[in-house]
Amino acid sequence: MHLISYLDPRDIRIEQRILTKQQVYQQMVETICHNHPLPVCGNELLELILQRDQESATAYPSGLAIPHIRMDGFKDTVVGMTFLQNPIDINGFSINWVVLIITDKTSSKLYLNMVSALLALSKDKETVQALSAAQDGHGVMQQLKHLDVEIKKDLTIADIMVKDPVSVRPDAFLRELSDLMNERVTSVLPVTDAQGTYLGDVTILNFLKVGVPNYMMMIDNLNFLLSFEPLEHLFEKLDEVRVSEIMVEDDVFLRPEASIIEAVSEMIKHEKRYMSVVDKGKLVGVVTAMDIFRKVIQA
Amino acid sequence: MFYMILAVAIFAITYILIMTEWINKMTAALLGGFLVVVTGAISQGKAYQAVDWNVIFLLIGMMMVMGVLKQTGVFQYIAIKVAKFARAKPLYILLLMFSVTALVSAFLDNVTTVMILVPIALLIASELKITPIPYIITMAIASNIGGTATIIGDPPNVMIGSATQYSFMDFIYHLTPAIVIVMVFSLVLTWLFFHKGMRVTNENRARLMNYKEDNLIANKKLLRRSLIVVTLMLVAFLFQDKLHLAISTIAMVSGLILLLFSNRKRVENFLAHDIDWATIFFFIGLFIIVGSLIETGFINLVSNKIMAVSSGDLRKTSVIILWFSGIFSAFIDNVPFVATMIPLIKSIGTHFPAQAMHPVWWALSLGACLGGNGTLIGASANIVSVGLAHKNGFSISFLDFTKIGVFYMLLSLVLSTAYILVRYF
Repeated sequence: MHLISYLDPRDIRIEQRILTKQQVYQQMVETICHNHPLPVCGNELLELILQRDQESATAYPSGLAIPHIRMDGFKDTVVGMTFLQNPIDINGFSINWVVLIITDKTSSKLYLNMVSALLALSKDKETVQALSAAQDGHGVMQQLKHLDVEIKKDLTIADIMVKDPVSVRPDAFLRELSDLMNERVTSVLPVTDAQGTYLGDVTILNFLKVGVPNYMMMIDNLNFLLSFEPLEHLFEKLDEVRVSEIMVEDDVFLRPEASIIEAVSEMIKHEKRYMSVVDKGKLVGVVTAMDIFRKVIQA
Repeated sequence: MFYMILAVAIFAITYILIMTEWINKMTAALLGGFLVVVTGAISQGKAYQAVDWNVIFLLIGMMMVMGVLKQTGVFQYIAIKVAKFARAKPLYILLLMFSVTALVSAFLDNVTTVMILVPIALLIASELKITPIPYIITMAIASNIGGTATIIGDPPNVMIGSATQYSFMDFIYHLTPAIVIVMVFSLVLTWLFFHKGMRVTNENRARLMNYKEDNLIANKKLLRRSLIVVTLMLVAFLFQDKLHLAISTIAMVSGLILLLFSNRKRVENFLAHDIDWATIFFFIGLFIIVGSLIETGFINLVSNKIMAVSSGDLRKTSVIILWFSGIFSAFIDNVPFVATMIPLIKSIGTHFPAQAMHPVWWALSLGACLGGNGTLIGASANIVSVGLAHKNGFSISFLDFTKIGVFYMLLSLVLSTAYILVRYF
């Protein structure tokens, strides 16, 4: 599917004036309501958009803002665009391109794919420059047609994963691991060799387990021990034990082209809230259940 | 004749596979079991008849009972109580743990016993800052000795009891006195081995005395109910003859009641973790293979040979079986050994009154169970205990274990020989 199939030149504006965020939104709402019959319109719609804006950030560092409304019973997708000659500030980002997307409650996939296509486009400064230099909506459409912006049909893990993640080497000592986890505020890290080949994962529990003698794991409950010196073992071993000794080797991982449903079912099956994404043996990203929750469910 | 050779060949290959552990022993036994059926050494119907369901269900029933009892924390509670009772003195703890392990093992499977109690010994040794190795070795040994005392203490006894119609009470009457004697002398041996050089500071002792072991009993209601059921089960075992119930039925009913108490609806976890299906299927495979040896006449052939050699002298036969079983069990799993010996002794028994056969059966049990102490690989409890030590950074080599274990084995076999000779002849 092409992006332009969802666009209507009448909904695209090139704005020269200096406006506030609210004014920009208001204008877009007016234009769209004028061109399309919507179940909710006018100030009511504007309120919804502003409210939504407050709940979750819609602005991206590349200068693109994508306010989004899901409307009950609206079986269509309408996209409005405004290119701003005078950027506005949304959540600290200087925004020169606003895209308002109104979709049905159920079509989150299309929305997410559209966002990822627009985001990719917004990172190319020259293109955005050229688009906002267009005469009118038709001009923008013309250029977009040339660019042939494709909207992927299916969302994959590659779209929502964190790319180029931090990883740890198997020969690193526990001290390095503990510093890294502390610094990055993360409870799990992928393990790779110098070439970036994925070897496994190491979690905070693997780390803490070093401090718990094995026999303790075999005692049903330890509530009779009031004063066992806590994890003293662990401190002694920070510079002795290496990551390779505690990591989970050959752990389950995801391919970048895995679908969201595959990722979720793998996470549930293996009781992992975190998965490394591996392409041809190399670590390319990580994805957490929270990423999926935030970017897919709550998007 | 052809089928006999075939059955013996499959039996021998299976035995070698079990001994060398080249493949998993359950897989080996089941493969051998179904191979004798496929090759026609035993008919399909006879093969399934050869499985002693009394043994199978007694094992499953006792595994259920243990599984629930284990959950209550009562065994670890007892272990810590005992350590405190010994006022945290390492030698007293060693001797008391030896006795407790033997006692628990008389009612629980040996491996389960050490899996419950050895972690506590490791904890205590770590608190007292002493080496746990003497504790681990002697506890494994004690579990093998204690297991011999009752019909439910060790699988060879389960099999013997089932094959011979000896009741729970018969085992108590005939075997327990022998084990009490062996225990007394073993405690002396333990004292001789370890009484030197076990010193701890008062500070470390105080830490252990500070344990709040009452907290271990998390679910008092479950413990109360479990103890009632277990008591009723033991009473039923004692009156098994009058009840006209198989011991397996009593164990299964007790196990199922406890299962209900512990969790009325969810059993998946229990089935997966507390019932050792590999052991159950190992037994089933062995029963079928041994069944083919009986069907093809091999067992009769061997028993006639033994009768000829021993010229029908049961005194000599008992002593030979005791020592042969002991030495054999020191190196290989006693379960397949006993499974093979049972039909053999039954076959010999056809020439004598049942009364006269008593010493032969008890000799088999004492030899097969106590022989396991002879080497590190003689019993699963030894391997599991040493494995636990290894996982916690204490390595115990084959020789380390064997140079202690072999004395306990020799001592118990000598005492058992004396017991059998004095009591039955």
